Amino acid sequence: MKRRNMWTAAIMALVILTMSACGSASSNKKAEDQGSTAPAGTAKNGGSLVIAVQDDPKVLNPIYAGDRVTLTIDQALYAPLFNVNGDKKTFVLAESLTPSADNLTYTLKLREGLTWHDGQPLTADDIIFTMNSILDEKQHSFFRGSFVYDGKPLTMKKVDDRTVDFVLPKVSAAFEGMLVQIFPIPKHIFEGEADIEKSPKNSNPVGSGPFKFKEYRAGEYVTLERFDKYVGGAPKLDSVTYRVAKDPNAANLALQNGEIQMRMIDTQDVNTLKNTGNFNILTYLEGRLSYMVFNLNVDVMQKKEVRQAIAYALDKNEMITAAYTSGEYAEPAASILTPDTLYQTNDVEKYDHNLDKAKELLAQAGVSNLKLKLAYTNSNKPQTSLALYVQQKLKEVGIEVELMPLDITAFGNKSLDMNNKEYDLSFGGYIMGFEPDAYRTLYMSNEAYNYSHYKNADFDKLWDQAAVQTDTAKRGELYKQIQQTVANEMTVFPIAYTKGVVALDKRYGGVEEAVTKPVVMLEDLSKLYVTE
Amino acid sequence: MKKNILRRVLQSIPLLWFISVVSFALIKLAPGDPVNSFVTPNMSAEDVERIRHSLGLDQPVIMQYFIWLKNVLQGNFGYSLTNHRPVLELILERLPATIGLMGSALFLSLIIAIPLSIIAASRKNKLLDRGIGMISYIGISIPSFWFGIMLIYIFAVKLHWLPSMGMRTIGVDSFWDIVKHGILPCAVLTFINVSMYSRYIRSQAISQLEEDYVQIQYAYGATKRSVLWRHVLKNVLLPIITILGMSFADLIAGAFITETVFSWPGMGSLGISSVFGLDYPVIMGITMFSSFMLVIGNLVADILYSVVDPRIKTMR
Repeated sequence: MKRRNMWTAAIMALVILTMSACGSASSNKKAEDQGSTAPAGTAKNGGSLVIAVQDDPKVLNPIYAGDRVTLTIDQALYAPLFNVNGDKKTFVLAESLTPSADNLTYTLKLREGLTWHDGQPLTADDIIFTMNSILDEKQHSFFRGSFVYDGKPLTMKKVDDRTVDFVLPKVSAAFEGMLVQIFPIPKHIFEGEADIEKSPKNSNPVGSGPFKFKEYRAGEYVTLERFDKYVGGAPKLDSVTYRVAKDPNAANLALQNGEIQMRMIDTQDVNTLKNTGNFNILTYLEGRLSYMVFNLNVDVMQKKEVRQAIAYALDKNEMITAAYTSGEYAEPAASILTPDTLYQTNDVEKYDHNLDKAKELLAQAGVSNLKLKLAYTNSNKPQTSLALYVQQKLKEVGIEVELMPLDITAFGNKSLDMNNKEYDLSFGGYIMGFEPDAYRTLYMSNEAYNYSHYKNADFDKLWDQAAVQTDTAKRGELYKQIQQTVANEMTVFPIAYTKGVVALDKRYGGVEEAVTKPVVMLEDLSKLYVTE
Repeated sequence: MKKNILRRVLQSIPLLWFISVVSFALIKLAPGDPVNSFVTPNMSAEDVERIRHSLGLDQPVIMQYFIWLKNVLQGNFGYSLTNHRPVLELILERLPATIGLMGSALFLSLIIAIPLSIIAASRKNKLLDRGIGMISYIGISIPSFWFGIMLIYIFAVKLHWLPSMGMRTIGVDSFWDIVKHGILPCAVLTFINVSMYSRYIRSQAISQLEEDYVQIQYAYGATKRSVLWRHVLKNVLLPIITILGMSFADLIAGAFITETVFSWPGMGSLGISSVFGLDYPVIMGITMFSSFMLVIGNLVADILYSVVDPRIKTMR
């Protein structure tokens, strides 16, 4: 008996472990947005807001933030230098950012009288310290690569307490787009820290955003309280709490029960919550593209006509209904750049649904009885619906599709394999932000995330030229060519620009001023208030 | 006896080592790379490589294992790959919530299951026994996440009697507040435990009721009540000890699903997060802790066997 128990023990432990086979979800990045409606009502100061997040935050230090939860909390805890919303640039900590005539030096001027949450002044030294920490390889920040140009790092020069010169080793039109991601960290806290990432000081973060850190209880919640000296004006709410709610069904019930007041929800849950009459549903473009990619490692996918035929055979509006219940939650996409991205254009081949043309192209390519494999993430509901749709729809042009649902990590590994030939088609989605240069890692020939494996030296040259072109008209023209090339070559089939859907308790106002924002839901929580 | 205990403890060392090797291998065999859980497409390939190196993930798996083992032997369980806090700290911070929830569920389950199943056994195949049997079948087969959601819907959303999630009201730090939050998850675990335990205990009690000593007691004119509660109960303790031995590890490992549904900040929810992030130092930490507790639990159970029933020679 006892010997058997020992082995049962071992086996039990292992059963738990085999759960490791479940994947790790890859997270995404920020970008900009489009507005939404808010309730009218009399604003009143005070009150609190509880926002649901799906997991504990990781390191509450913005130079290491890459996942949704941490980015969301950092958004309230830290302030950026400036924000970009479409064409509009709003300065936050900074007062101005001026490029020199040769575009090699950017002068950043900070506002007057900035302070950290602990009352210490926020100066040029903090900005330089933050950038140095990011550039220091020993600190393994996630952003180092964004400020290194052909192996040469960006350098900083302090002009005075409020002014910093950023000196670029070569012209980069993308510099501002990279700088917008930076939330400064305090020098007086982290100076001399051998490993900032592991520093216990991260569990008592000091930022400069609208809310300051109050309490973190692991597995339960993070509470922030108002910071009256916030540069954008004192917040209206007294406190904001991010509550960990892992199970989506339970979280929706907590929302209905009033324990949570704001949560990003699935489109399927919209009606249930709407019917309670207690919520405003905010929908806004997430700056996200949902797409299908052709794997050009496979011989038959090398034929442009086949790719184009498939594009013509599919109907984007039907795909949106299948995956996102209605056109309210996604817009048909034509360009690989999302609408919030600079130089995005709709002047590309749209591949409106056309069966005859699809059949014609397949005949031209000389292929028949095509059998294709379509890979997607098995736990992703919209992708599953899209896959079933594609399977049905491509039958009309005589293409048989075998579905290949994959575990998220297994899928991730296969897609990063440069020689992968295991499937012909696959689904994906990305949020890349407003700077088009950020997209290069997904499209240039030898980049790790070039899932289509499309290789074209001339196309690569366009990306390189666009990155250093500072004349906006010429730069726009280059990005237009890039978008048109992908559409004409049809290596990636854009399906839809999807929307974020957030339920917010009706008693809260000020959403328009707070501005909806991809990934983090609201850009500036200081503007939110409780109505009476 | 002391020598025996010592021998058992020593015997458990190779077992724990074996568990650690297989666990580590399984985590590493799982598809995916822990770095993927926080890498975004706009990070450069060099940044990704640098991070992988800083986490020691560029080393061969065997080396990673020995580095881990060396550190553990020195009492260092390493740092979480995702939030970079010491694993020991993460585990200790979650332990009270889990022990509180699992401990009270275990205690309640036994308090309910023992009398219930003895009563069922004494009325074998009568209506009451059938009823208890039916309910316990439901309890065994009901998925805990569904049952949890139903309880939340009824008691929190509809009746507003209890909070639906978490361990405390934000900013409130009182014992009663925690108890209030614990009622629903504890009810789920207790219902499921009672259903399982009562099957064991009932069958043990039935076989005891057929023993000669029971007939003799009756022959001497003992009442049914005294037979059941004074004699049968004692003999029914044996399977209960087995249950306790096995449940010892649960006290530490927590309940993955129930804790997730109720957002209970215990080891189960830490386990789920680390499994999804392939955070192997944390997974290994939890596995080693709970395996160790299971070994200890079995040891204690074996000792208790001999105390309860001296006929059983302790540990050969």
